[in-house]
Amino acid sequence: MVYTKKSPALFIIGLVMLLWGWLNASGNIDAVQKSLQRSAYSDHMKVKEKFDAEFRVASEIAVAESKPAPNMKMPGTRFDEAKAFQTTMCYIFGGIAALLGLLIVVWTPREGNLDYYLSIFPGMAYMLLIAFLVRWGLDPMFANWGRDAQPTLGWNFASIFNLNYVVLGIVIGIVIVNVFKIPVWAANGVRTARFFLKTGVILLGALYSATELAQLGLISVGMIGVFVLGSIGVVLYMGRRMNTGNSMTAVLSAGVGVCGVSAAVAAAPVVNAKAAEIAYTIGTILVWGVGCMFLFPTIGHLLNMGPVQFGAWAGTGILNSAQVAGAALAFDPNGIETLKVAEIFNITRVLFLPIVVLWLATWYVKHEVGAEKVDLGKVLFAKFPVFVLGFILMFALSTLGTFTPAGHYQGKYFSAEQIKEDKLLKGKEIRAIEGELARLKEPAGAKALQDHFTEKAINIGARHATPEDAYKGLAELIANKKVSAREQETLLAAVGKMKGLDAVAAGAIDKASKAAYHNSKTIGAFRDWLAWLFSIGLIGLGMQITMAALKQAGGTPLIIGGVVGTAKALGSLIVVLLFIKEFI
Amino acid sequence: MKTPLKLLLCHHGTDGARAAEVLAHEFAVTGITTVVHCLVVPEFWAGMQGDDWLNNASTRDAFGHYLENMLENDAKRELAAVASRCKERGLAYESVMRLGNPAETVLAVASEVGADLVIIGSPRKKGEEGLRSRMEIEKLVRGLKCPLLIAPHP
Repeated sequence: MVYTKKSPALFIIGLVMLLWGWLNASGNIDAVQKSLQRSAYSDHMKVKEKFDAEFRVASEIAVAESKPAPNMKMPGTRFDEAKAFQTTMCYIFGGIAALLGLLIVVWTPREGNLDYYLSIFPGMAYMLLIAFLVRWGLDPMFANWGRDAQPTLGWNFASIFNLNYVVLGIVIGIVIVNVFKIPVWAANGVRTARFFLKTGVILLGALYSATELAQLGLISVGMIGVFVLGSIGVVLYMGRRMNTGNSMTAVLSAGVGVCGVSAAVAAAPVVNAKAAEIAYTIGTILVWGVGCMFLFPTIGHLLNMGPVQFGAWAGTGILNSAQVAGAALAFDPNGIETLKVAEIFNITRVLFLPIVVLWLATWYVKHEVGAEKVDLGKVLFAKFPVFVLGFILMFALSTLGTFTPAGHYQGKYFSAEQIKEDKLLKGKEIRAIEGELARLKEPAGAKALQDHFTEKAINIGARHATPEDAYKGLAELIANKKVSAREQETLLAAVGKMKGLDAVAAGAIDKASKAAYHNSKTIGAFRDWLAWLFSIGLIGLGMQITMAALKQAGGTPLIIGGVVGTAKALGSLIVVLLFIKEFI
Repeated sequence: MKTPLKLLLCHHGTDGARAAEVLAHEFAVTGITTVVHCLVVPEFWAGMQGDDWLNNASTRDAFGHYLENMLENDAKRELAAVASRCKERGLAYESVMRLGNPAETVLAVASEVGADLVIIGSPRKKGEEGLRSRMEIEKLVRGLKCPLLIAPHP
């Protein structure tokens, strides 16, 4: 079978991207960018005005002193960075798309690996083009409209309804598949949406600290354990009471209980679900999942929930795993803290999946006359989510310091060696610290220091910090003009927060502390790419949600799914609000 | 009405379809009419994996094969049952099984086989349990070049 559809579509997509890149680079669409990126443009103009003024003065001085015109360069702004980023992305991906598109146009595809792999590029480029359109166009446009309408409406509709790139991307995906249909040339590539999401989750592994993962893992196992097992139990009970049939009850309990459509897909063959039962279950879960994806973030904002609370709630209360990621990013589109929490819950759910499938298989065999026994070991092996191993590997590599020095937190790490010359303390700052050191060595100062350490429970290793530790640390800071060790930085940061400390000295200590911390470029790049991977993946998944499948929701499965889904959403909300605190 | 030579019977095992079959037997004449049984597997099954993304490819493949086999077996059972009832009456029988939009597929099959009468069952009553894949009657009426007969709901 030949997979590549001969079409100029990929070539055209490539040209469109290249054109957008060129328009950005040449400044021909600055007016459009200005209206889309109002805040960045406003900052840009302030920097420009300041630079122009400085340049004018420097030029006048140069003329007065008969020197050549000054060689000054305007500092980069967010506006320039955004345009440069769009240009680079468009040139890279537009170039690749145009070349491969040309190959598709001139080459006669024949069966084989080249044909198979080439066939996925048009669909991938199609999703990427939509992601560009949504992130660079619709997202800022809706944000502007929301702000413009706020004085009239009294509320920001774009913010309340979370009309950001995530929600808009999924909605566009749903509209495309249901109104226009996925183009034949893009069908193969659109299926790679799963690959983008799984890659995103794997990369996410690099962003957790061991403490974070342990804390979140514990909460997620507790909450998922209670709510997954609880909802499966309730569905099995309700199904028996309402005579829905064993296979229907089993497939519905997997879908409603564990991770939605994925669980139904995994469990259906094992419990011999009939075609109509699969359709009812998947329809019910999709209706519920899509509804929750729009509702949860709005409720989360209204209840003023933080990332951990919302991530835990979405990760437990939303039936379908794809909409968990969507809701987390819709709630917090500019950061990934909520996504990090929600994905831990998703991973916990998918790790529960093989166990639940085994449970349901055993339950089905016990209750269904004539049901064939299943090979439990084979089921466990086949259903194990391999991508979770990738996530664990990335976490391990990151913790061991492969991407950035070990002991980093969200890509931020301590290094005295990497402190730049211009970040060293200056004479005035050193003198202020010397003055404070002398004062703190006096009895009153020493007592204040001791009291401060006791109150804040500052430790050095296993023992309590003493004023002598502080004297040593400050002396080293004066000698080196920078902090030299992490322990010293922790201690001095505490000293810097003492009441009554000279403002210049406190500022100098704070400056020295900050100078010792650096952001990992690799982890920073991971964070940026994550947002793109999830954005593209969710657009592609939106294209898998058909109205025809949604319409199948109905009858007893919808009643059971509705009751258990509502109970799960409300129950997990109460637990989250009562017991989950923000701590990462 | 003249005796149909090619009678296209749209039948997928529902109560409405069975009523259509009874009507088809009334119109078909042994030795003259060939009953062409058109069974459409609605296209929504193709999207039945929904937005699953967590499963391994092997699990998705297993699900796809399982669903495909089940739909195929259900369809074959239906085709065999209708074929056997036609045989009992001595009627010539042919079958066509397709995946697609019901109305569009019936239009295509009617044209391909040169049907001179199409018989379908009436739509299920609203609220009645069953898969949501209704025949777009208007599309069918506008597109067909032969008479269309709709059997009343049993």
